[in-house]
Amino acid sequence: MIVARVCLALALSAALSLHAQEKAVTNPVAGDPAAVREGASLFRGNCSPCHGLGARGGGRGPDLTAGRWVHGSSDADIFNTITHGVPGTEMPANDLEDSEVWAIMAYIRSLAPAKIEAISGNRAAGERIFWQTAGCSTCHMVHGRGGVLGPDLSRVGGARSVPYLIESIRQPSKELTTGMLDPNNHYGVPLEYDTVTVVTAPGEKITGIVKNEDTFSIQLMDTHQQLRFFLKKNLQQVSHQRTSLMPAYSDDMLKPAQLEDLVAYLESLRDE
Amino acid sequence: MRRAIAWLALLLCGGAPAQVTYQRLLGADQEPQNWLTYSGSYQGWRYSRLDQINTSNASRLGMQWTFQVTDLGQFETTPLVVDGVLYGTGQNDRAFALDARTGRPIWRYQRNLPDKLQPCCGMVNRGIAILGNRLFMATLDGHVIALDTRTGNLLWDVKAADAKAAYVFTVAPLVVKNEVIVGISGGEYGVRGFVAAYDAETGQKRWRFDTVPGPGEPGHESWAGDSWKTGGAPAWITGSYDPELNLVYWPTGNPSPSGYGGARDGDNLYSNSMLALDADSGKLKWYFQFTPHDLYDYDATQVPVLLDAEWKGRPRKLLLQANRNGFFYVLDRTNGKFLQATAFGKVSWAKSIGVDGRPILNPDLTSGPAGQRVCPGALGLTNWYSPSYSPDSKLLYVATSDECDIFTSSPQTYRAGHDFLGSVYVPDPVVRPTGALKALDPTTGAVKWEFKYFSNPNGGVLSTRGGVVFAGESDGNFIALDGRTGAELWHVQLGAAVYSTAITYQLDGKQYVVIPAGSALFSFAIVQP
Repeated sequence: MIVARVCLALALSAALSLHAQEKAVTNPVAGDPAAVREGASLFRGNCSPCHGLGARGGGRGPDLTAGRWVHGSSDADIFNTITHGVPGTEMPANDLEDSEVWAIMAYIRSLAPAKIEAISGNRAAGERIFWQTAGCSTCHMVHGRGGVLGPDLSRVGGARSVPYLIESIRQPSKELTTGMLDPNNHYGVPLEYDTVTVVTAPGEKITGIVKNEDTFSIQLMDTHQQLRFFLKKNLQQVSHQRTSLMPAYSDDMLKPAQLEDLVAYLESLRDE
Repeated sequence: MRRAIAWLALLLCGGAPAQVTYQRLLGADQEPQNWLTYSGSYQGWRYSRLDQINTSNASRLGMQWTFQVTDLGQFETTPLVVDGVLYGTGQNDRAFALDARTGRPIWRYQRNLPDKLQPCCGMVNRGIAILGNRLFMATLDGHVIALDTRTGNLLWDVKAADAKAAYVFTVAPLVVKNEVIVGISGGEYGVRGFVAAYDAETGQKRWRFDTVPGPGEPGHESWAGDSWKTGGAPAWITGSYDPELNLVYWPTGNPSPSGYGGARDGDNLYSNSMLALDADSGKLKWYFQFTPHDLYDYDATQVPVLLDAEWKGRPRKLLLQANRNGFFYVLDRTNGKFLQATAFGKVSWAKSIGVDGRPILNPDLTSGPAGQRVCPGALGLTNWYSPSYSPDSKLLYVATSDECDIFTSSPQTYRAGHDFLGSVYVPDPVVRPTGALKALDPTTGAVKWEFKYFSNPNGGVLSTRGGVVFAGESDGNFIALDGRTGAELWHVQLGAAVYSTAITYQLDGKQYVVIPAGSALFSFAIVQP
């Protein structure tokens, strides 16, 4: 009898909580300027390490201003994504108050574009540009093929907005991707792709992407995609450029129409 | 028969090593073979008279043993060493005793902690204090406990604060006479800070000093409205003690919420202050506030260094503190009188410190849409990790962090047990933060030398009569430098960040240096070639 009562109570409580969830499907503070401000503050503290300061994407998390919601775009979906995380990805569950989640969502929604830009380029042409004429694949990998000096772009279409992709091609140094803060070192903002030039004792100049560095040593991948390790005491100079190693593809190097094609290809790169 | 019992008693108890008495704590610097208290002595010097490891042989340092705590998170302990036994604490309120020759554990203790605790910065513990056969530990669930040095068994356990409202302990206690003194953490959660003393034998509370004055108490007027109730001013780093003046010097942390001052107009006493408390009664003898009405999280929780020295031609009892706000202060510790303050790195929030000891604020702080750029950043030009003073070089060694942060600030409603910051900050994304170990001349504040770190440090400094200073840094290097010049003598990569400060001791004629890194203790001594 006691068991039956407990079961009934459990069933009732499940029904009630289901009801509560169904009720709370829209953000009660959507568009509220105070909530947007609070959300901005919470976003900085909780989300920006992965999604970037302006929510435009960071070393680990996708751009949240692109209006593309891979895990569902309704308020209920996004609430669920923030609260429970996304299993199988680096998005963790978050122990936030409901009101805090709604505030973060009010902030994110305030950044999202009214409409998603239409892609006018030709995907197949863009694919040829990527793999052949523009040489992108020398440094970037897509689905297991290509270089390893730059970021893997296998999922870039789902993770970055079209304006971001265009900016990354035309002005790769404009916004450098910061890395996730090292859990053993919660100070500092490491760059995900930090360009460095070292000068060896005999005077050889080697440029590459920093893989690691400390007070006494530096580990980098040079432009030939070889790993190179140095003790700083054996180097004349170590200089961090704080610019991207990727060339800026100007109009001369990549005509506007070619850019559109390339973006159409990149935009098509999703998880599947 | 009676004689036989007496013999048996002698046989059983006669071989026990001498216990740590208050007299031994008073003279801790006279027995450098041990490390009896958090800073090595009551003066807060973190200095040892041992000289077997010196500037001419430090390059031959080699590993002796390691001890794995087998837990995760920042390992911030300062171990104690008493007559061959090393006592330490670990993450999640672990404690352990080791054979100091081999690192082999004798006992382990783990506090049974409730599920949901709110330490701002990890489930950390910075160490223990010892008196007699008792070890004292302040725990993350707001208790003060005593463990038996021989077994790790719990001897007493008193609740000091409510962990549900985010009152937690991370501090290593300080034993003075027969009192165990502790200070609370929770400045990120709107606690009302305190320093309290407990009877070493029974655990009974002896006194408590609230670091935020209540109605009717002096200093209460420095808080607008009810803001004092959630005013912070935690006391999370171990103080120093002057037995002659019978004063405990205990530093306090930020006002809450740390980054938004709109609802707490006033100086917000006694946040970011040095308190001089009567050791017997806990009564406030004097205070000095370094950063009134703080907006940048400039806790003054740096170990106070007590020094008797000539100052402007006459001998004076000084208190030195390289403060998180970027200024190095010299105070008269008999009365709290401000003597001097000099910037020891990049500072933008204040132009200088006036003759009255108050900061002269910088009206030209640049502010953009993303926030206000302030140096030093929220983590300070230095932080809780220990400084060290060497009477040989007459220099104060301080690990420093060269970082500016972008602050944004907004009002926040207090909710018990929830973070209460009123702001967020991010490191300046343009300039990569770095760090250094700096040697300051205490009389002038001048930086005599500096050794640059690639990253900001989280570890402090140990200096020795051998002329060697030891420091660990965030990228996992443990480094030995020449204390007079800053020249590197030796380093080793330990594979994980150092979040603490080294200690040293001597056993069987061999000097050991022990440093926590990652989740392990590493022990070094001179290895013969």
